[in-house]
Amino acid sequence: MNAPAHNPDRDRLEGLADAILVGRAVDGDTAAFETIIRRYGPLMRAYTARIVGSMADADDVVQDAFQTAWRRLSELRDPAAVKPWLMRITSRLAFTFLRRKHVDVDLATLEGALPADTQPENVAVRNAQLHALSAALDTLPEDQRRCWLLREIGELSYDDIAEDMKLPTATVRGKLARARSSIYAQMEGWR
Amino acid sequence: MNENDPRTLDCGKTVEELSDYLAAGRSPSDPRIETCPECLNALQGLTRLTQLFQDLITQDVADLPAPSENWFQGIMTNIHREVRAGRSVPLPHPDIRVDLSLTEGAVLALIRSVGDTVPGLLVGASRLDGDVETPGAPVEVSVTASVLWNRSIPDAAHQLRELICVALAAHTALNVISVDITIEDLHGDLPNTVIHKEH
Repeated sequence: MNAPAHNPDRDRLEGLADAILVGRAVDGDTAAFETIIRRYGPLMRAYTARIVGSMADADDVVQDAFQTAWRRLSELRDPAAVKPWLMRITSRLAFTFLRRKHVDVDLATLEGALPADTQPENVAVRNAQLHALSAALDTLPEDQRRCWLLREIGELSYDDIAEDMKLPTATVRGKLARARSSIYAQMEGWR
Repeated sequence: MNENDPRTLDCGKTVEELSDYLAAGRSPSDPRIETCPECLNALQGLTRLTQLFQDLITQDVADLPAPSENWFQGIMTNIHREVRAGRSVPLPHPDIRVDLSLTEGAVLALIRSVGDTVPGLLVGASRLDGDVETPGAPVEVSVTASVLWNRSIPDAAHQLRELICVALAAHTALNVISVDITIEDLHGDLPNTVIHKEH
């Protein structure tokens, strides 16, 4: 683990609410934006890695996402809602990346990063469950997986997902229901 | 779907229908679902799935190698290149041939830096309303801030207003007619909360 370099400015800003940080960042305060990056960067990387399948690519995508976010921050209507907004930007870039690279999603790299099996039994069961869910997720068609990820990690509303994917809300509802139902079926052994 | 399809329950309801029902917050309440053991079982399973998925991502976040400092610095370097200048705020100069001005971004940075010196207060967004590009035009300043939970809000707001007025008078020629302060949030750890600091 790399311990971040000590930075008194950053330490002061760390406890502030998203809306305050966004306000400062819109005005040009890069330290406030860095605090946002440190707050949501890890989640955005994990989310992107689930989509693009490689950590190195995820790092590139998330860098782009923050760059875009910095540029467009003043367009954010509700500064308190910066998290779903970042997730939406990240998701859009991640799926664009996938289409451009025609990468086959292969989460082997990620699974290799999971801890070794020196876990207590309940943790091992939990890991196996997570593994099964991860595998089930991989079997979904891309648009369903995207809906699911936007909903479950991005915490986007149906309307926001619809806007993001340029689909009617009813279609999103259908895709999400199919995604849930198919994962539910595949996870039957784990319930 | 056939009867062997696990997506259709024995009672005839599909998991898709239940998923929709769940997404709607189980409202309006459907007695046919709420009294059917099969449906209730499936609803519980779907809810657990959402929880499990949260766990999956939480575990991803914990297990993935942390981003390197270079990764952060890469973003920051690019961001520093895109400075937000905003409008141009003229500064008076005795020699009329000299065209001197500050950027709006610099004025906002000034507000932040003096504002942040108020004990227990940190500035949020600042705005200059009015024609800042015309000397003498009335300008309204509005600032949001976050105050430490145990600080007196009126005191902090008062100090902030004073400091902003003094700083703008000293460093700009803006005709400030009002400074509007909104305390938008409280920060800091509330008493009796156990604080875990990771090193």
